[in-house]
Amino acid sequence: MGYSSTYSQRSISSLRARSRINRRQPGESDAVMRKHRPDYSLLVVAGALLAIGAVVVFAIGPSLTNGTDLGENYFSTKQLTAIGMGIIGFLIAAQISLHKWMKWTPMILIAAVFFAIAVRFIGEEINGAHRWIQVGGFSFQAAELVKLALVLWLAQVLTKRRQDGHMSSHSTLQLLGAAVFGVIVIVAGMQSDLGSAAVMMALIGGMAFIAGLPLKNIMIVGGVVLIAGLIAITSSQYRRERVQTFLNPAADCQAEGYQACQALITVGSGGVIGKGLGRSVQAYGYLPEPANDSIFAITAEKFGFVGSTIVVGLFFVLFRKIFLIAQSAPTEYMRLIATGVLLWLSVQMIINIAAMLGLLPLKGITLPFVSYGGTSIIFVMIAIGIVFNISRYTDLSVKSGVPQSPRAQASTARLPTFNRSGIEARRA
Amino acid sequence: MNDSPRLPSSVSRLKALYLFVAFIMIVFAVRLFYLQVIRHGYYDAQAKASQLKQYELPADRGELYAYDGGEIVPLVLNESRYRIVADPELVTDPEKAALELSEVLKIPAGELEELLTREGTRYVPLAQKQTKETREAVAALGLPGIFTNEKQPQRVYIQGSIAGQLLGFVNDAGEGQYGIEENLNDRLNGEPGLLRALTDQNNVPLLATGDNVQQDPVDGETVVLTIDVSMQRQIEAILEKGLKDAQSESGSLIVLDANSGAVRAMANYPSYDPAAFTKVEDAALFQNAAVSSPLEPGSIMKTLTVAAALDSGSVTPDQSYFDPGFFTVDGATVRNVVESSGSGTRTLADILRLSLNTGATWLLRQMGGGELNQQGRETWHRYMTEHYQLGKRTGIEQGPPNEELGTEAQGIIPDPTDGYGLNIRFANTSFGQGMTATPLQMAAAVTAAVNGGTYYRPTLVAGTIDADGNFSEKQPDIVKNDVVSDDVSAELRRLMENVVANNNRTVLREGFQIGGKTGTAEIANPAGGYYEDRYNGTYVGFVGGDTPEYVVIVRANEPKAPGYAGSIAGRPIFTATANALLDNFNVSRKSN
Repeated sequence: MGYSSTYSQRSISSLRARSRINRRQPGESDAVMRKHRPDYSLLVVAGALLAIGAVVVFAIGPSLTNGTDLGENYFSTKQLTAIGMGIIGFLIAAQISLHKWMKWTPMILIAAVFFAIAVRFIGEEINGAHRWIQVGGFSFQAAELVKLALVLWLAQVLTKRRQDGHMSSHSTLQLLGAAVFGVIVIVAGMQSDLGSAAVMMALIGGMAFIAGLPLKNIMIVGGVVLIAGLIAITSSQYRRERVQTFLNPAADCQAEGYQACQALITVGSGGVIGKGLGRSVQAYGYLPEPANDSIFAITAEKFGFVGSTIVVGLFFVLFRKIFLIAQSAPTEYMRLIATGVLLWLSVQMIINIAAMLGLLPLKGITLPFVSYGGTSIIFVMIAIGIVFNISRYTDLSVKSGVPQSPRAQASTARLPTFNRSGIEARRA
Repeated sequence: MNDSPRLPSSVSRLKALYLFVAFIMIVFAVRLFYLQVIRHGYYDAQAKASQLKQYELPADRGELYAYDGGEIVPLVLNESRYRIVADPELVTDPEKAALELSEVLKIPAGELEELLTREGTRYVPLAQKQTKETREAVAALGLPGIFTNEKQPQRVYIQGSIAGQLLGFVNDAGEGQYGIEENLNDRLNGEPGLLRALTDQNNVPLLATGDNVQQDPVDGETVVLTIDVSMQRQIEAILEKGLKDAQSESGSLIVLDANSGAVRAMANYPSYDPAAFTKVEDAALFQNAAVSSPLEPGSIMKTLTVAAALDSGSVTPDQSYFDPGFFTVDGATVRNVVESSGSGTRTLADILRLSLNTGATWLLRQMGGGELNQQGRETWHRYMTEHYQLGKRTGIEQGPPNEELGTEAQGIIPDPTDGYGLNIRFANTSFGQGMTATPLQMAAAVTAAVNGGTYYRPTLVAGTIDADGNFSEKQPDIVKNDVVSDDVSAELRRLMENVVANNNRTVLREGFQIGGKTGTAEIANPAGGYYEDRYNGTYVGFVGGDTPEYVVIVRANEPKAPGYAGSIAGRPIFTATANALLDNFNVSRKSN
């Protein structure tokens, strides 16, 4: 009974090897892992968002370097470098087979946890938070690596658990609980990075939800996260103020509510068509972090309602593409990876923009692709690269979902026969 | 675990997730529409309120120049000073900032810390008018929230602390106070420009947009004063010494150009240093007493009485009369001073030489056809007010230009037709009592009487220098050119020379024309009548070659040294002044 895809890392390569020679026959299952052209629209949409970010960072360059001895193009040059490295990361990630990712996942996870802890001790302190490690001339944000590691690790673990029929077991709950606990201690606690912690929580909860964790258990995980969140908020004066500010930003526009108020002013003053590319005033000292956390507001000021809805629309197109890839992914593992990337990008985008629109408290988190910052760009491009790779194997004809189709079930049921490794799935 | 229930479909949950994300995107679009389209006006106004700033672009205040001989030299110039200002909200470490600033600004750290932590304001001036060096030292500290860009104009007095009351000063708000600075404030200040611009948060204007407006300031005029700085310096010293010698505590001294009304020097004692105006405790010291403080001038008035009687044809130059030594008028007695008392036949020259009050009264009677009557009073009144311009302000450029608020006094000339005891009152005016005038009014009137009959409006402004450095000279303003006739003027000069020749031989110089007249003026008691023992000493005189070149007036308040005030205080100061003028200021010699 139940779901029965049964391949492990080695089975994927064998499947792929098989798919090259396995031409589709009339009446044969659509769920076969056959390689085809990847979904280039992913690259186009991500590229458009990167370009918008680069243009905005370039346009506000003088405001960022004002009062420093840096050249006006210092930040846009660094941003272009980051985009170049992100594209390289994308190209590499797009070529790495998923079984290699599977094989590397434990190493990546260990490295991520190591850096996430190390950053507390060797990291650069900015505004009381330890988030960056200086390596040579680059600063590396450990949280971005943790997000990638979490996506890979959760996809692997949850696939295995699902195959083993352990999704509803206590051990799965304990495992997820341990992950939540780790994120709270390391990311929210040691790094004071509540924004990234929220994204990671969403990854854990969201991927578990997609992987079929019983709703009762999801509520337990959600309850733990909620309690942890409340503790996190109430334990810090800074966060209490942020929440109070969020609840009533106008009360204190001059002090704690300043950034929230200025974000709304920035967005609202953009109007329908915006002030124009070079006409942002709010970037000149009024709105904090104009290139990073607040870049969406600056974009909205420059390009108005037209521009800001285009940005939101581009994200939506991207999310929809990833969703379609996840939906028609041939394996549970691939689907969970694509889902994880979808969760990562969408939750981060939602937290960032919602804060700029006064719908959520400020978190201090970047807008994927658009915000200034090398680490974020490189890692989201790697994530997109992985999804791009997955898009080569999607079942183009399946729209409604593999497991629900009797034909698909039939075909997946046949999958183990391609498994030459001899690993047998436990069957219900 | 083998019989675990069928797990929910991952794809249906994936769809639920996707729909949730799609829903949020719609929420964002709606929210953006609300913020950017519906509420755009509100947020745009909020943005403009903080971004759009209006500045006054200060105009440079005009500088003051003056003469030194024939040369135009700087007198009052500008120097850029800086106000050090704090924005307490941006100051991160007030204690440390206060300590560091304390060393540079020489202000106690505690005081600074109180200013740096002040609440409810974002603009706290810490120190005024700091030099460029101090400003740079403060900027070098790199303290957040401390600003040093605000310029403050500072007047510097190139010639030292001369002519304090005449110049006035410029207060911290950039407004001229007293003297020339206040009178010419609008001309000196120019028109400030206007800059309206979108700025960054540090108020630095950003790129030009449609909202930016710039209007250049019009700098103030550079004004050349009529005074001669060397003469001013010398007569200030002469006045101070002369007053001390006569044991007088205060007084004034004016040198007028006899042929243009230009004030060449105008001194008061005591004076003050305009560069240190904040140290002055008594604001009365700011007043230029030479124009603001009228007095009963005393016998120097007789020069004008003689000229009026001659010019009106009431007497002839060679006419003599019998002086009984006193007159009884309206029940009061007009007497002379002790030395000249006694009766006898007197000439016009005797009236001035012996300073006969009875003689002046006789002149007034002649103006009435031989008796004190309305005709005589009206003739004399007409001369005083319409010919000599007494009883009205000269319009000298001092203090507020508004006549109502003006510091210049107009003096009092009694009405010839209205009131009781008019004859004794007018008899008094004929020798300088019962009426008042400022030293400047008297100097200008006597100038007109001796220079051939032209009343020039007294002035301190010689002209202006434009931006290219071209000097445009102001033409003398002739108020009346037939104050007295040429002949009368010549006769008066001769009479005044005679006074000097008889009474003040120390000042006689070969080849020069020097005339003068003392005055010992009784001081009116506010309770009625005159003080028995208090007098002001005055003197009016001129020096020149064939014609007068300078007219000098002296006022010494209540000298305590024994003797007649005019003789012991007025005369020596005039003598010293005349000598200084003849020695140092190129007075022409007589041609024959």
